[in-house]
This record gives sequence, structure tokens and C-alpha cells, in this order.
Amino acid sequence: MDGIRDVREIIREEMVMRDRILEVLQEGSKTVPEIADAIEYPSPEVMYWVMGMRKYGYVTEDGQTDEGYFLYRPVKEEAK
Amino acid sequence: MNYDVLVIGSGIGGMESALKLGDMGYKVLVVEKEASVGGKMILLSKVFPTLDCASCISTPKMASTIHHPNIDVMTYSEVKEIKRNKAGKFEVTVLKKPTFINENLCTGCRECEMNCNVAVPDQFNFDMVARRAAYIAFPQSVPKKAVIEREGTSPCTYTCPAGIKAHGYTALVRGGKYEEAFNLVLENAPLVGSLGRACYAPCEGECARGRLEGPISIRRIKRFVADEYYKDHVQPAYGVSEERKDKKVAVVGSGPAGLTAAFFLARKGYPVTIFEAASEPGGMLRTAIPSYRLPKDVVDRDIRNVTALGVEIKTGVRIDDLNELKDQGYEAIFVASGTHGTRKMEIEGENLGGVISCIDFLREVNLGKDVSLKDKTVVVVGGGNVAIDSARVAVRLGAKKVIVQYRRSRAEMPAHDWEIQAAEDEGIEFEYLSTPVKYTGSGGILAQVESIKMELGEPDAGGRRKPVPVKGSEYRTEVDMVITAIGLEPETKAFQKLLQVNSNETLVVNPETLQTSVPHVFAGGDVVTGPSMIVEAVGQGRKAAFFIDCFLNDESLEGVHAREYEYKMPVVDKDKVIARQQNYRKLIPVANNKTLLSKDLDFTETELPLTEEEARYSAGRCLDCGVCSECQTCVHTCPAKAIDLSMKEEKKVVEVGSVIVSTGFNLFPAKLKPQYGYGKYKNVITGMQMDRLLSPTRPYNTVLRPHDGKVPENIAYVLCTGSRDQAVNNSLCSGVCCMYSVKQNQLIMGALPLADVTVYYIDVRAFGKGYEEFYQQAKDMGANFVKGRIAGIREKDDGNLTLFYEDINNGGKVMEAEHDLVVLSVGLLASPDAKNLFQNASLETDEHFFVKEIDEDISPARTSIEGVFVAGAASGAKDIPDSILHAGAAAAQAAAYVERTRMKK
Repeated sequence: MDGIRDVREIIREEMVMRDRILEVLQEGSKTVPEIADAIEYPSPEVMYWVMGMRKYGYVTEDGQTDEGYFLYRPVKEEAK
Repeated sequence: MNYDVLVIGSGIGGMESALKLGDMGYKVLVVEKEASVGGKMILLSKVFPTLDCASCISTPKMASTIHHPNIDVMTYSEVKEIKRNKAGKFEVTVLKKPTFINENLCTGCRECEMNCNVAVPDQFNFDMVARRAAYIAFPQSVPKKAVIEREGTSPCTYTCPAGIKAHGYTALVRGGKYEEAFNLVLENAPLVGSLGRACYAPCEGECARGRLEGPISIRRIKRFVADEYYKDHVQPAYGVSEERKDKKVAVVGSGPAGLTAAFFLARKGYPVTIFEAASEPGGMLRTAIPSYRLPKDVVDRDIRNVTALGVEIKTGVRIDDLNELKDQGYEAIFVASGTHGTRKMEIEGENLGGVISCIDFLREVNLGKDVSLKDKTVVVVGGGNVAIDSARVAVRLGAKKVIVQYRRSRAEMPAHDWEIQAAEDEGIEFEYLSTPVKYTGSGGILAQVESIKMELGEPDAGGRRKPVPVKGSEYRTEVDMVITAIGLEPETKAFQKLLQVNSNETLVVNPETLQTSVPHVFAGGDVVTGPSMIVEAVGQGRKAAFFIDCFLNDESLEGVHAREYEYKMPVVDKDKVIARQQNYRKLIPVANNKTLLSKDLDFTETELPLTEEEARYSAGRCLDCGVCSECQTCVHTCPAKAIDLSMKEEKKVVEVGSVIVSTGFNLFPAKLKPQYGYGKYKNVITGMQMDRLLSPTRPYNTVLRPHDGKVPENIAYVLCTGSRDQAVNNSLCSGVCCMYSVKQNQLIMGALPLADVTVYYIDVRAFGKGYEEFYQQAKDMGANFVKGRIAGIREKDDGNLTLFYEDINNGGKVMEAEHDLVVLSVGLLASPDAKNLFQNASLETDEHFFVKEIDEDISPARTSIEGVFVAGAASGAKDIPDSILHAGAAAAQAAAYVERTRMKK
């Protein structure tokens, strides 16, 4: 499919992508574009997943880069 | 209950009207379609021009509305109809949608939401982030109670004869929760591994994804779940039920129906004994299905799910006299003896040695008898799945040639296409439109099959074309063995003295309860339905257990109980599911890989399992048809035990003296201005979305670009998006866009001190008290106002946006400007919600479809219907102070009307 994907479909995939993102973040905190590079998905889609994960306590901010991107890290299981 | 006034909608206008009326002593009913009162105002960051916190202003009103002694509030409810009755009052029909949460128990802890496995766009954050199917609308919700979004039962779950929640375990696998998925299947069926391999998966036939690239591999996901679980759990994780009952139950037959019934009865604490005629338990799972399709160690492990509960299985015991069981103290009996008989062809030579029924043949092989067909020629007669199983087994036993004779063509063959294909791949020959007429041999041993060619004639009673012999087309085949597979039937002769039997040898039962004509005897599975699917038998076993429990508790088997057992929400319309999305990414189903075929086929399982990655990918294709997947996680995690998935909608009819319509407004859908790229360019958002980003309950950690999470540095506002715009047929000035944009300018400059803000406008309308000063303040803070309408927006590779505009103050040249975030200041449109509610009167609207005030200058809030008033933005675009004033006027009008009509009496 070309072009923009339906938001409903992207958001639905958070459940599949969550573990992959958490696995990538085990290597260290990352920005949304860095996560997108690591899992080879477009950054707008990763933005939905990371923000969903943040809302539900899987990741949290971990500082900011000079370029204006926030870094995200996993939230420890016991802290959730 | 009757009320003085009905208020439809609980935004700031509705709440204000209700509170004023309540304070005056009138009884008020507020009906709100969302799960919380508060409307749109509670979702705003701050209000203009005071920059007061919207939540700080709204929440006290929300709480007052809910707790006011004179106000009743029905949230998650919709007014369906209003009609004036003969007494001059209004009769109002309200539908209370089921929340599936017991409001009295829910503490608002969000455990259900945090553990929910279905992600959907959050409408309260204007789709910028996910919410869950179980959710609390927003953090300041009043009442702070969860709701579960359920559109109905997903087709896969709805169609499963055993009631297995296919959507539920698919959703759990998608989220990597394999053990939970196993336990969810176990709630409806103990034979998880067997069903994962040998179920014909009616769920997949109903899968909505089948309308796209193909259905989800639901059965193989179940197999994955079972394999994962059994790998780590050689024995079940549970033992005998703590609940103990003293009434013994006997089960006749240890096939899928018998095992399932025993499982559920033992879970309820009944001592259960299964009597099995064969030497090993499992029924058809053990004796009929070849091990290359269903390995017997899987059957063994599934059976341990039953025996772990203390169920005793006595093998090699054939029960012919059910009264003996009664005499032995069994207070209920479940007959599930299956269909172990085969139909005869009634042709010459059928008793020759070498002619064998498929059931006998498969049983011998499956129970380990040493059978060799090395270099033999075998003819299998029949076209069903058992015929195909027999043929494929014959190949594995060394037959040099296996021929399947079927009297119709392949198109009519009852066997599944993939089974036929697999048989063809294994070198099995098919002779369609052929049937044996005679078996011949010498010394009582088969040597030849005489067959005749057939042609298809007129359709029979079942609609299939009837095969007709072609005269003179007889032919002979030299064979060593014939396996007949022309139909299975129960062996129920022994039961006939006690139970009623149909002409096809099946037992007669009450289809609702599976009770026979003898009250303590129940029957189910193939012995009742005739040859069917494993999952059908599992469903019957579960159902029998339910009604046997009722019977043993001396409860009625009719009425309420039957409905409780069967209750499911109506199935979701697949057309509506597909229509939820504008487009779909192509997600091809995982191929059904088989082990590589070799010359020497053996009984190794042919179907390869899904890998973990394939299982999650497959589960990820699920469209969440019913929205809630019924995975039961919320049921298990709710500490207050507040989840009630059996909740149903309620209809309530009330009489009211007056009605206030306070249904608010809709936002202009920005996609209707395609030149601005909303929905296509992720860094183009609406003003409402920016308000959410600036709110304390924002979807992101701060104001970020949706494209990549970068903090924006150069933000553009496009005023009058969809308002004052004949191109979208809306000449209305919304009156609030300029000021909410100016408000956001100031908030952005406070939150992001380094960010530049540019506002592209036609003219700024700062007409209210303090508005002009507010506008000047934004300019003084550094907001850049450019007079010029935006003609178009283009996205760059880095997500930045190029805006094309006419620079009116500088000669009208067409200019370009680059920004890293664009906010479309969308206008307000009328909400159509109230227009069609009135049955015997017409609620007139103005030229912009807002509710018309028939005498706006001297009698504000009056509508075209006597006794019906309009409050707030339902009557036209208004800012918050005007909405509150207007709602006060509506309240006064309604109160006056109620008093006036009372005085008339």
C-alpha cells in the first residue's frame, strides 16, 4: 500500500510492536527516529507506538538531545 | 421517574443549564452520550482571554452536576426519541448503553485499561495516541468509571460451536501473552492442542480479514499457544477442584464431547468417571485422526488437562446398559459414544477379506497394530475427510498405488480442498464420477473391484447433483484392499430400550439442554449430531456439563439458564468492520508450510508450526472486529470485580415538562481542505489537537511533532480553516478560532520559549471583552501575524512543511515559508444530533444547521417547538462565556415554561 496508513491500523499494531521497541531500548535510551531506524518502520508510526507505550507505563522520557528530540527508556516492571 | 426538564448534552452549556435549574429546585435529567460529563471544554488547555485552566473551571461544575440533589445524570446514554404526549408533556426514550462495568463497584483504578489488549485511537485526544478498549474517558472524567467498548461479538468467536474466544486469544498472542491465551482457550475447551491441529476452524471461515488478503490463521495460532504451554507444562498447573460435590456423574465415551463434559463437571467438583470401550482414551482423536495430523502425545497431554481434575477414565469398558450405571450410584449420565459404526455399501463381495471400513482401518493403525500395505494396491471409496485420511495412511503403510473413487466430481467432494491437495501431492490418484458395484475375489479374499462411471444428473434434496450410472461403462481394477468411507453412524442399538433413537441411529435429545427423555441421562457429540467437527462435540460437552450441573442442583433447565448459557452479544457486521478504515496495508497470511515430502512418507506431523514471529504477525492481522476481544484480562485483573461482560443495554422512558437541547458543536473536518494535507502530512494538526498537546493531560510529554517526536521550533497557524470559506460551503465565522489560536500562541511561547509562531490570517476578530488586549499581548510576546490566506502546503523529506500564501500587506505576492509544525485553526459546525429526535414536531435549524432561535433578540433560547429550548453552541458558534450566558437564559426559559404550564392546570 502506498501513502499514509490508516491511524486505526497503526495504533492497533502497538500491541505487536511493543516488545520489539522495548527490546531495542534495552540497548539504551533512544529518540523516536532512532527507534524507527532500529525497527525499520516510519517515524510517524513509531511515534504512535511510543506515545501509547508512554501513556500505559512502558516507557518514559530520559533526557533530550541537542536536536530537540526526547530520549525514551523502558520503565522497570516493578515501577509500573 | 418524571422530571421537570431534560437537558441533552453535558458540555459547559448543558451543565450550566442543569445546575441553574437544579438550584432553582427543578428536577432535571441530563443525558450524555459519552462516559463522562464535561463536553469539549474539559479537553481544552486553558480558556481565553484569562488563561484560566479549563480543567480547574470545568471539574467543579462536572462534580456539582453529578452530585446535585436535583439532577440525575445518565452518561453513556443517548436520547432516541422525544414526543409530546396528550398531557402536553414530553415522553423521552433514553437508551443506556452497556458499559460492562458495575458502576457501584468500579473504583476508577484503571487496572482494566492498563491490562487491556486492544488498542484503538483515543477520540478524547483526537486520535493522536491510543487508548484501550477498556478505558476511562480522560483523567478528570466524572464519573470516574471505566467503560468497555464492545461493538458486538467478533465473528470468529460468535461462530465457534464451543464458544472459544478466538478473538480473545488472538489478541493475547498479539501482545505476547501466550500463557494467558492458553488459559483463555481452556475456559471453553480442554483439548487445546488437538483443536490447534485438527479443528476445521469455522472461525477462519468467518474472519473479516478473509475479505482482504485471507483469514487469520486462528487455528495455527491456537496450536502455537498449546505448543508453547505444553513445552513448559508437562502436567497441568492445577489439580482437583477445591469445590467438592458428592453426586457422581458417569460419562460414556472419551472422545471430545465426553472429555469436555467431564472436564467442566470436574471443575465444578463432581466426581466423574469416563467409560471408554477402546483400549485407550480419546475417541476419534485417538482412533480416527492419523498421527501425521494429530500426534498422539498431543492427545495424551490434552487428556491430562481432564484427568488432573481427578476424572477417572476406565478403558476397555463398553456400556450397553445405562441402568447399570444408575445402579452404581451415578446420578447423571452423559452419553457421548460417537459414531464408530460405518454404513455398508450393500453390494456384492462386501464381506470379502480385504474389504474394510475406514473406521476399523484407522483404528487398527492408530492403536498400533502392525499393518503393512507394502507394494499393495488400495482403493478407497468415498469423498469425505475420513476417506482422504484413509488414503494418506495407506500411502504411509507402503501401498504402491492408492486410488480414491468418488461418485461425484471434485467440486462436490465433501473433503476439505487442502486435504485433497495434500493427498494429490502424496501421489494418491483420484477417480471422480466412479463408484464400485461389485467386489470379486477367490477363496474369500478380495482381488478385483468392478466399478462404474457416473454422470451428474438433477440436484437431489440437498441441492447436490445426483450421480447417475453411465450404462456400459463398467471397468475392473486389480486391488489388494478396499477401504470404504461412505459415512459414519452411531452404534446406539444397546441404548434403544431406554432412550429414543432417530432413524439415522442418533439419540433424541432436547437440543437446548441435551437432556434425553430420561431426565438423568444427557447425550451429546456425534452420537446426537451425527458425524461432525471436533469443536462441535467440544461445544456439546460443555453445554451438557452446564445443564447436568443444573439438573443435579434441582434447578430448572428451561428459561433463564438456557439463555445464560447461550448469551452472546449480536455478531458484528463485517461490512462495518471493513469500513472503519480508509485503507489497509497488505498483510499476507503466513503460508501453511508442510514438511518436505519424501518418497518414504511416515507418520511425522506434516504441518509445520508457526514460529513465534509468525504467530505474532498472524495475530497482528486481526481487525478487532468486536473492538473488545473478550480476552477476559480485565475480568481477572479488576481488583473490585466490577467487570460484567453480560451487561445489556437498557431502555428508559421518562416524562419531562421541558427540554433543553445542549448538544454543542462539531469541529470542521480538516481533511475537507486537502490542499492543507491534514491526515497526509503528520506535522499538520488541528487547533483542537494543539489544545490537547498544551493541556496538562496531554497525549505526549510536551508539544511534539507527530512526525518524529521533535520539539517544534517554528509553528504556523492557518486561521479560518473551513470557516468563512465558500469552497467548503461554510460561510460562517466561527467566532472563536482567532482567539483560541491567540491563546495557543501565548501558551506555546510559554512552554517552548525558543519557538517562533506565525499566524496566517484574513482578519483577526477580537470582539469580546479583553480580546483585543489579549491579541496585542500575543503580538507583544513575539507572535508574528501575516495577512494572507494559505493556498497550499507541501511536506518536505524531513517532515517540515512549505506554506504557499498571498502576502497581502506586501503587494500580494505569492510567497513561500517553511515551518516545522502547522496548526489548522478549524471552525465550528453545527451538531446534527438533536435535529431528528422529535417525533411529532419539527426542530427548525438556521442556514448553518444550528438549532434556530425563533425570537433570538427578545426571547433567546426559544426554539420552533413550544417547551424546547437551546443552550450554548448548539444554537450557533460561541465562546465559553457566551455559552454560559446563553445556557443561563435557556434555564430561565425552561423554568418559566414549566411554571407557566403548571399555572394553566
